[in-house]
Amino acid sequence: MSAIHPDQLTAQRLAGMARPPIEPPTDPSTGDGTLIDDPAKRAPLVLNQRSFKEVTDIICGYAENKPPIWWLPVFMLTSTIAGLGGLFITYLVITGIGTWGLTNQVDWAWDITNFVFWIGIGHAGTLISAILCLLKQKWRTAVNRAAEAMTIFAVICAATFPGIHVGRQWMAWMLFPFPNSNSIWPNFKSPLLWDVFAVSTYGIVSLLFWFMGMIPDLATLRDRADRRLRHAGDGGPILFPLLPVRTDKIRAYVYGLLALGWRFSSRHWHRYEAAYLVLAGISTPLVLSVHSIVSFDFATSILPGWHTTIFPPYFVAGAIFGGFAMVLMLLIPARELYPNMKDFITLRHLENMAKIILVTGMMVGFAYSMEFFIAYYGGNPNELFAFKNRAFGPYWWAYATMVSCNVLSPQVFWNKAMRTKPIVIFFISLLVTIGMWFERFVIIVTSLHRTFLPGEWHMFHPSMVDIMIFVGSCGVFLTLFLLFLRFLPVFAMAELKAVMPQASPHHSAEGGSSAYGMGVSPLQVDAPKGGH
Amino acid sequence: MSNLDQCPSTTKGEKKRAGKAELAAVAGRVDSIHGQRAWRSLEEVADTAEFRDFLEREFPAGASELSRAEGETDGESRRNFLKIMGASVALAGAATIPGCRRPDHKIMPFSREVPEEIIPGKPLFYATSYTRPDGGVEGLLVETHEGRPTKIEGNPLHPVNQGKSSVWALSSIMGLYDPDRLKHPIYKNPARGRIAATWDDFRAWADRAMPEMEAVGGAGLAVLADKKQSPSRQAAIAAFRQKYPNARWFAYSPAESSAVAEGTRRCFGVPMREVLKMTRDNTRVVVSLDRDFLHNDPAEVSNARQFSATRLVMSTKDTMSRLYCVESGFSLTGAQADHRLRLSPSQVTAFAVALAKFVLPKAAAPDSQQISSALDRMSVQPAAGVDARFVEECAKDLLDSANRGRTLILAGETQPPEVHALVIAMNAALGNIGASIAYLPMTDEEAAPSLANIRELTDAINQGAVRTLVCLNTNPLYDAPGELNFGEAFEKLQASITLTVESTETAAASTWSLNGAHYLESWGDTQSHDGAIAPVQPMIAPLYDTALSDLEFIAFLTDRSAKRIDGYEIVRGTWAKFVTGDFDRAWRRALHDGIIAGTSQSTQAPRVNFANVADGLSRLPAAPAGLEAVFCVGNVADGRFANVGWLQELPETGTRTVWDNPILMSPATAKQLDLLPINYTDKDPNGIYYKSRFPHGQMATVTVGGQSVTGAAWILPGMADNTLLLTLGYGRENAGLVGDGVGFNMYKVRPATAMNGRVVTAARIEHAPGEHMIASTQDHWTMDNRTSIVRAVDLPRFQKFGDEVALAMDELYGTRAELNFAERMGELAHTPPNKSIYKNPYNKSKDEPLPSAAYATGPQWAMTIDQTTCTGCGACTIACQSENNIAVVGKKETAKGREMAWIRVDRYFTGEDVNNPEAMYHQPVACVHCENAPCETVCPVNATVHGPEGINYMTYNRCIGTRYCANNCPYKVRRFNFFDYGVTKFNGDYLGKDLINPIGDYIPGQGTGITGSGEHNSINPNLIPPRLRQKLDEISRMQKNPDVTVRSRGVMEKCTYCVQRINAARIECKIDGLPGIPDGFFQAACQQACPTDAITFGDMLLPQSKVSRMRGNARSYALLGYLNTRPRTSHMVRVMNPKRELCSAERVAEWDMPLGHHAGHGEADHGDHGEHGDHGPETPGATRDGQHSKAFEFKPSRQRDDRGYALSLRVLGVRA
Repeated sequence: MSAIHPDQLTAQRLAGMARPPIEPPTDPSTGDGTLIDDPAKRAPLVLNQRSFKEVTDIICGYAENKPPIWWLPVFMLTSTIAGLGGLFITYLVITGIGTWGLTNQVDWAWDITNFVFWIGIGHAGTLISAILCLLKQKWRTAVNRAAEAMTIFAVICAATFPGIHVGRQWMAWMLFPFPNSNSIWPNFKSPLLWDVFAVSTYGIVSLLFWFMGMIPDLATLRDRADRRLRHAGDGGPILFPLLPVRTDKIRAYVYGLLALGWRFSSRHWHRYEAAYLVLAGISTPLVLSVHSIVSFDFATSILPGWHTTIFPPYFVAGAIFGGFAMVLMLLIPARELYPNMKDFITLRHLENMAKIILVTGMMVGFAYSMEFFIAYYGGNPNELFAFKNRAFGPYWWAYATMVSCNVLSPQVFWNKAMRTKPIVIFFISLLVTIGMWFERFVIIVTSLHRTFLPGEWHMFHPSMVDIMIFVGSCGVFLTLFLLFLRFLPVFAMAELKAVMPQASPHHSAEGGSSAYGMGVSPLQVDAPKGGH
Repeated sequence: MSNLDQCPSTTKGEKKRAGKAELAAVAGRVDSIHGQRAWRSLEEVADTAEFRDFLEREFPAGASELSRAEGETDGESRRNFLKIMGASVALAGAATIPGCRRPDHKIMPFSREVPEEIIPGKPLFYATSYTRPDGGVEGLLVETHEGRPTKIEGNPLHPVNQGKSSVWALSSIMGLYDPDRLKHPIYKNPARGRIAATWDDFRAWADRAMPEMEAVGGAGLAVLADKKQSPSRQAAIAAFRQKYPNARWFAYSPAESSAVAEGTRRCFGVPMREVLKMTRDNTRVVVSLDRDFLHNDPAEVSNARQFSATRLVMSTKDTMSRLYCVESGFSLTGAQADHRLRLSPSQVTAFAVALAKFVLPKAAAPDSQQISSALDRMSVQPAAGVDARFVEECAKDLLDSANRGRTLILAGETQPPEVHALVIAMNAALGNIGASIAYLPMTDEEAAPSLANIRELTDAINQGAVRTLVCLNTNPLYDAPGELNFGEAFEKLQASITLTVESTETAAASTWSLNGAHYLESWGDTQSHDGAIAPVQPMIAPLYDTALSDLEFIAFLTDRSAKRIDGYEIVRGTWAKFVTGDFDRAWRRALHDGIIAGTSQSTQAPRVNFANVADGLSRLPAAPAGLEAVFCVGNVADGRFANVGWLQELPETGTRTVWDNPILMSPATAKQLDLLPINYTDKDPNGIYYKSRFPHGQMATVTVGGQSVTGAAWILPGMADNTLLLTLGYGRENAGLVGDGVGFNMYKVRPATAMNGRVVTAARIEHAPGEHMIASTQDHWTMDNRTSIVRAVDLPRFQKFGDEVALAMDELYGTRAELNFAERMGELAHTPPNKSIYKNPYNKSKDEPLPSAAYATGPQWAMTIDQTTCTGCGACTIACQSENNIAVVGKKETAKGREMAWIRVDRYFTGEDVNNPEAMYHQPVACVHCENAPCETVCPVNATVHGPEGINYMTYNRCIGTRYCANNCPYKVRRFNFFDYGVTKFNGDYLGKDLINPIGDYIPGQGTGITGSGEHNSINPNLIPPRLRQKLDEISRMQKNPDVTVRSRGVMEKCTYCVQRINAARIECKIDGLPGIPDGFFQAACQQACPTDAITFGDMLLPQSKVSRMRGNARSYALLGYLNTRPRTSHMVRVMNPKRELCSAERVAEWDMPLGHHAGHGEADHGDHGEHGDHGPETPGATRDGQHSKAFEFKPSRQRDDRGYALSLRVLGVRA
């Protein structure tokens, strides 16, 4: 500790390089980041008393430092799977939809199951970033960036399936309304067309939302790369021997491009905040609308088991359910693999999300039981048959998987000990993800395989192409997520700092003196951490 | 240069050139010996060394010039060869541009006009006739487009067809365009193997080989010919016999039973052929003793038509005939029966005797008494399975005074001649002969017993008495009974000559395989079972190397020196005796009409020799021990249709299996033998899920005598126990791409000395290693309690309540203010009236219920399907396939559920016992063209839209294949092109299929290919770039109907109500200045083919049109009508006419129970499955006192699980 001129201290503090002089006493009940029942006490959102500088260093470090040793092998594995999926898609397009296990009776199966599954996954991100933003849930800041990224990647995976599931993929553009000499427009009565609009709107808004939120952080990355390039030596290693450009140069260039000229000016921040709120407002109804519209694919049909008014809320709840499970499935391993992530994604976050899973899981369970009740109460024998067939027909195992994964497994979260153990949460999230995939499979296949005329009852069996394209889409998803972890700011730094104690105008050390400007307390100043 | 480009004149032109050089040298000899023989034979005439060398040459003449080295200087280089070739091609082209492949002789189009002959784009119809594989004859119309036959229809003027046709006749066009048919003669050179040859080569060979035989009057020569009823054929045979008095002529129809010939011989002294003459007046009761007279019968088309006429109930005053069926399998006749008993063939015999014991003593005929006394002396007692009450009631019905002389008893091919004789005696005693049945004498050829003939031939060859064998359209190497070892005998022949259209095993082994002319390429004539003589006229000149028809070939054998062998002259020569007056005029008339008027013979009612019948009874075989094996034919007939994809993919009766002929047995027998089908999941040792996708049959070996064959075992509910049904015609080895290796060859176990060729007793069956995948189009057995799908009612109930209507205001549409009888049987009676908060788009306003202008102006197309008269024969399916270019997809694709049939026939068993169902219902389902079509709203690209005439259009080029429409179609009639089925070869397979989609169908030695042969599917036609794909053969494409698009991969397709025919009719009517399209001006393809007229189609706004009358009938209902899809195709209630005494009390009680809302129908009694909208008063099982009869119901447990067939076995409590 050395004496520092108060002005310099102030400057450093404002630059985020200072940390509170006195360690606040750790409350044993909240110090691990978990929630407690006493509303007066709040667990900190960022653990380990990180300073702004540390936060910046850690988060930028994910993108700047050498990747951890596991990264490359895992990336190669997932990208191989993704490439394999791409090969199978190529094979599918060249050869025909017949390479799937579809039949003339079961005309949709894994294709649309995967589509609805991925779209559902995509819901958590926007929910976290939009609805929780409007509800001023501060804990969202730690997970929203990753969740939004996951949304984008899930929408990419989802959008693949309607594109490739059609019989003549090279004519899929006919789904879009475009002026043509025949004056034939798409059929606006078709829910499949609504899907096209809903999903593309959702994809675009989510992408904008994600990207816009990232601009300040990209600018930080740009500036850091630029600074290193100017002040700290050689500008990093050469990426490819044949391309003698220093990595920092590439970084500065690319991040600079992406940062869209962000200069951290107040005016920028002002506009940013306003735009963020507007986009949050736009996204909020989309969260509800997209999956409602996806559910119309089924609800507007006349097929028993599909023709159900409960579908829109049921699908939305299921989507949030599945989406949160997927967020957890991604973040829990990530915070294990990047240990200092645990300071940002605390048990409190995990617990919050586990609670959401519990709630939405109950909603989904309620929907399952209501379906049965209405099928019975509605008095339509075909409807009742469809549901009995779901539970007790040849695909009973799919239904059993769905119910046990989606309704039964989240019940362990009633137990606080369970919902604060990352390994348990991870495992339950895995089950929920499986269960949600089966939910879509059950809805689609078990309804189709036994419709009105028993003469046309037929079983569906997936082919290897069905399976590999789904596995490939998982590979695409994971690959993109790994790239995100590696190259982009995984946390919203600016927002994260805003929920840190230092950001509060009334922030004070436990000693009661103000941290602001008084200069009374000797502030600790971090020496800049060397290196990049 | 492919064969295709070679028309006859091409080859002639070429040869003319080739021969010129030597002309001078041999001219003298030619004149003196052969007159104007073809030029090619000059070398032969000149008897040059080259010619003597010819027979031993490997390649045809000229080919050696290709192999000559470039450097040789003798001028005969490859270059020179090409020069010659080029010149001759050019010459040939110039010579043959006009008239290529057109017949030389004038044939008469059937159409009314067309003075200008061919108008491009406008099809012409020509009449011709066709001999079925079973010897029956059908008179046909052939649609030709620019001289190319594309579709077969029935000839309205022919007495047998009357416009209708059978699946065999409809499919026979595939034989013409079969890419695997013989295209040129093939000579089996002793040194070199099989080499391509020409007809001239054959003539040359014959000229050397035949004189020796002629000298001894044909001794050592034998002909094995198919059976054809043809005056010209008979004349040709007579001429042949005159020329070769010592030659032997064997008529041979492999699958035939000689029981009828033998039975009639006993009764009448001469073999006679049955001619059924059922009418509403003379037929009240029909008893079939294992006789499938509605389906597997030479006269099936006319039989089905006559029978359905006796069954048509259009008003409550109508009556209908009653059919008793006692049978071993479950045939389409059994499916029509009002009372059915399943008995093994020997038990059927016992049943016949038991019936005769009742009938004959009480019948009026005095002569019959001697049989009665003979019967009394007989110890034959009805076997255990014969229900005494059934026999008694059946006999009472026959003897009922109201039915006197208005009944009919028929004995089937499984029955011994004695039973046939007994049945004839009964018919005579009941006064039926001359009324519902009459007789005509058989020709010698027809009466010849095929099995005896082949046996005799084999013996003669083995003894050396036959050294040269001519096979005329026969394939004994494949279909001779296994125990004869015909193959060994065949080896001993000095020479064998086979004339055949399709590729056969015999042709592949013969010294000379000659490409025969298809019946659409040749002149001939036929005589149908009622004696009517019809011409066979060529629609097209032979597609391949101057093929000869069988008629021409016999003439050639008879007179090799004839100037010109011409079927045309042969037929005209024969016909001279049938025609009086102006021959040319009569000839043209006959060609135009497709029938010689007045040649139907007056049938006879010969006297029955009762004493003989009585004598025969003592020779009735004793009740056998062990299993009884029944040989039958399926869709591919005796095997000659094995290479016809349409027929391979047409579901078989009862089982709905395709591409196979499993050994069928009743579920109980299968259980007893432990041969039940396998739920493959249970047995998969590796636990790999996708291995278990399809039902499998266990392999089993059937042994009869010393012969055995291994095939897959499968079950057919309703079959007699202890009976095996073995379908002949499968297991071909040299049929071509489609037919090779499909199924199992049951001829191997068919004994040459079987009682009548159709039944053997004491067959054994035991397990064999392995399993075999069974593909079927319908995996589910029953209606699953959904009794309103096929609605059935007993006649008394219909007569009593059929006219009642219930007011049920449809407030949304208001089009039908009342529910008729049929609608009150189903869901509509339970559905609340349509109320909507929205305006009906088709009405002017919500308040105005009348239909708006949308559907108020004609024509508005509609169809009705009568489930009472529909026999389930499948003619509609094949006719539609032919008309609409519907692809064949292969066994594996069908197993996956991807068959493409636009009109399918659903089969449902009813009753509680899977072993003994009460009945089998058939329900044809095609697109019903809903006015509120669920498919239309969901298509995102507007590819399926509604037309102003009520047709749901499918726009192929707009369709991108989301398949949403198919998902939302409650009738599941939409078919998706998962692969390029339409334009590539049929299999639709893809590279690595065995890796990706293993089916686990490995049969040792047969590979895993789609047909089991494994050799044709190594290349994926779809993975290859479109330009290079393995397309349909050029020749197969010629069959396609040019008026209908061939669909590409990735688009949806479905029934269009034959929109191309509608539009053609509309244009024609407009040109003719008609105000609209009159009713009956044209027919949809399915309607056109239906032998029983179960399908009607037309404009429902015309009050007098047949379809509007049918739609207005009390039996008409909308399938799944409660969905408010408002289908344009309505189905009609199936009416059954059971005998009161044979019905359960519940069933009888229900006859007096009016239809209505839940009268006395408590909720409690169906609480167990809680489906109260699905049955109710309409369920025949509900009775007044609220008790549920189980007569037509199924246990809910049967709904549980059906992994294909294996699931229903749960009922049996096994393996599930």
